[in-house]
Amino acid sequence: MLEKPAVLIIGGGISGIQASFDLASRGIKAYLVEKSPSIGGRMAQLDKTFPTMDCSMCILAPKMIDCSHHPNVELLTYSEVKEVKGSAGNFTVKVIKKPRYVDLTKCTGCGMCVDNCPVEVPNEFDEGLGMRKAIYMPFPQAVPRAMTVDKENCIECGLCEKVCEAEAVDLDQEPEEIKLKVGAIIVATGFEMFDARRISEYGYGRYQNVLTSLEFERLLSASGPTGGHIVRLTDGGVPRRIAFIQCVGSRSQRGELPYCSSVCCTYATKEAILIKEHNPESEVYIFYIDLKVFGKGFQEFVNRAKTEYGVEYIKGHPGKIEENPKTGDLIIRYENTIDGKVREITVDLVVLCPALIPRRDNERLAETLKVELDEYAFFKAKDPLFAPINTNISGVFMCGYCQGPKDIPESVAQASGAAAKAAEEIALTSSKGGVDSGSK
Amino acid sequence: MKYAMFWGCLIPAREPNYEVSVRKVMPAFGIELVEMEGTSCCAPFGIQSLDYTSWLALAARNLCIGEEMGLDIVTLCNDCYESLLMVNKMLKADPELKNQVNEILAEVGKEYKGKVDVKNMVDVLYDDVGIEKIKDAVKNPFTGLKVATQPGCHLTKPRRIHFGEREFDVLDELVRATGAETIDYDRRQSCCGGPLRGINDELARDVARMKLISMKNVGAECIVTVCPFCFLELDMSQLEIKRHFKEEYNLPVLHFAELLRMAMGMKLDDWEIKLHRVPLNPLLEGRLQEG
Amino acid sequence: MANLSEELEPSFMHEVANTPRGKGVLTCIQCGRCSSSCPIARLVDEHNPRRLMEMIILGSRDEVLHTKLPWYCLSCFTCLDRCPQGGDVAEVMFAIRNLAVKEGNVADGFAAQGRSLVETGRIVNPTMMMIKKREKLGLSKGPSTATEEVQKILKKTALDKLIASKRTVKK
Repeated sequence: MLEKPAVLIIGGGISGIQASFDLASRGIKAYLVEKSPSIGGRMAQLDKTFPTMDCSMCILAPKMIDCSHHPNVELLTYSEVKEVKGSAGNFTVKVIKKPRYVDLTKCTGCGMCVDNCPVEVPNEFDEGLGMRKAIYMPFPQAVPRAMTVDKENCIECGLCEKVCEAEAVDLDQEPEEIKLKVGAIIVATGFEMFDARRISEYGYGRYQNVLTSLEFERLLSASGPTGGHIVRLTDGGVPRRIAFIQCVGSRSQRGELPYCSSVCCTYATKEAILIKEHNPESEVYIFYIDLKVFGKGFQEFVNRAKTEYGVEYIKGHPGKIEENPKTGDLIIRYENTIDGKVREITVDLVVLCPALIPRRDNERLAETLKVELDEYAFFKAKDPLFAPINTNISGVFMCGYCQGPKDIPESVAQASGAAAKAAEEIALTSSKGGVDSGSK
Repeated sequence: MKYAMFWGCLIPAREPNYEVSVRKVMPAFGIELVEMEGTSCCAPFGIQSLDYTSWLALAARNLCIGEEMGLDIVTLCNDCYESLLMVNKMLKADPELKNQVNEILAEVGKEYKGKVDVKNMVDVLYDDVGIEKIKDAVKNPFTGLKVATQPGCHLTKPRRIHFGEREFDVLDELVRATGAETIDYDRRQSCCGGPLRGINDELARDVARMKLISMKNVGAECIVTVCPFCFLELDMSQLEIKRHFKEEYNLPVLHFAELLRMAMGMKLDDWEIKLHRVPLNPLLEGRLQEG
Repeated sequence: MANLSEELEPSFMHEVANTPRGKGVLTCIQCGRCSSSCPIARLVDEHNPRRLMEMIILGSRDEVLHTKLPWYCLSCFTCLDRCPQGGDVAEVMFAIRNLAVKEGNVADGFAAQGRSLVETGRIVNPTMMMIKKREKLGLSKGPSTATEEVQKILKKTALDKLIASKRTVKK
């Protein structure tokens, strides 16, 4: 049966969600494939978004619902793209649906299974700061709202199966191979964090009170391991002095990453303001090289942080961080390049802003799609100026951080751009008579 | 394994004990150190500060001797290592620079061809001999001894020239092979202060003091060095610091080759012990007889 | 901010950049990583690698080349390893020292090393006592040195002339 082809979107973060919804709204079927058990991506991990200071989940969740409930969107969560054949207008895609050992049609998300599961493992959503069970929902607002069993850590005790009143647990589930026929593909795989342990002089991984910004974001979040209270994980104490260090691994020629990650100066300002809101008496320092706050509203955001909240910005990239082993406090050596004095400051908590990098598995995906990556594993634009969201493969587009460093509004705009380009591809194919939908 | 042995200036002139220990230890592992005839100063940082071309030419001339012998060069002193390693890499990578240097070397009938590598004793022990063989050779282990190692700046930095972080840990592994315990301290990667000796003795002493404080804070009982400059600085400065700051650290300093020699059951002679300003007594218990 | 001398020479930065080992000055973004890593900068205010780079960039040629400023560096390479921009501060130190020596300024200790090198081919030689001790121990008198060859080389590179007269650093 000939019909209008669908579009495959790889990656269920805000970019993928936006692109799917845009396409669905104009009558084009969108398959949204997401590797983890739920869509939402990085935005779900944030407490607030800059510069409006909206609660991130509060503005994301409605979008997640709208997208997933749209009749033209089919969510394929806990799934991965395995093979892509064909060409623009007529791609055949093999998607593997990993077994979550829970029947999505039956699970109500009640959580009885979680209460009874005896296994605890570090929670990836909390960047390893909190724990989850082997059967889990990644976060309370997950879409789909269902549990997943982490078979690797599951001890197969069967308790979850026993207590589930909806009989939704199925420990015999097998991976499912799904074949899709699509006319266009949009890549929206987002970003990872640079491993801050590589900047060994900052002590990340050795000193417990040195955190990454994403870990700190989880501390700030009400759904996080401390219920939104800013406390030190070493002693539960409230940190009075917190320091942010910008450009950890970015803007670096020494074998790390030379580019600017674009969002860190602004999000550090956001986190600094949040600290001051939680605890007005705290002292917050941001150690920067330059303050890269481009665009509408961001310089004003920083000015507010300085004048209204008293956040202190110090123009000096610290040399080293040492720990006082008795107290867990951290001693930062820095030069305030404005007055030229080298000093030391003791703080209770250090938040590193590491470079944001394209996901490591982009390489495998690029091979599958036959798409080019640049030297940092960002997807490569067909033309950096005039075709920034086209890849070298006709019919394959990209958007969001996997295309290059950008913030949420830019990701959303680019996602709509990719959706428009995909729709164009679909229109072209349809005008030629559509494609044989084959089996789904 | 055969190497051309580049002793440098300082060891033969001031630390013959280091030379003796190396001569006693290396053959036991099948490493033959062949004397290099007619070497010169390697041109460490002091000479590099004076003139660039002189540095390149002097270092390259020493490299030529190794090439003529057909052997890779091994150094003990970190400054010799840095100088020869850097020049070797620079000339191998830049043919134009190599030609410039060879024009000067023609004055003495030498030509640098880039045929040998420069290594240091730590890498030879770690890569060629290996930890297991070293452990096997240890008859009188330093069990329970808390060692703070001083790998030294020019063994390890700049990282793009050296092996990256590896060198900091390689020396620690070697020390552990003698049965001792190595402890990490905040300033392990920091300079000993030696390069400022004769330029600004007070600063040199203050830099050394920062290291000693850091070592003492974690309960170090002795210091193990590989570089003769580090040795002199960390050893001698303790006396200066005692005089000036009235602080005592009592951290005996010895070279890894000396530590290994004793661990292998050999004993240091009196004259060697005397060359260590901070008394070695605590380390010598049970090691006064050969065995 | 740097203590600026009366006259600035804007071309100084490029002079240093074109001196061997001096290229790093072109990429310095004045972030302060070097100065906050430097063991000497934490002990004395005068030595500040970032400020020294700033002075080069601004053109304080006189102060950089004719004072004690470049001579505190330990050459420990910590700054170089941590600089995010490939500024190679420790290498730039060598470049400005070479320039300073050409204009007659050198720290005494290094000048002495240079003189020993020209005279004997080494910066330090065994004393008579040490030679005797070495002989007693069955070691060679000392390392064999090709003094003449060294002198020929240093004549060609003109190092001998460079350190011929005793010069001290101003300030």
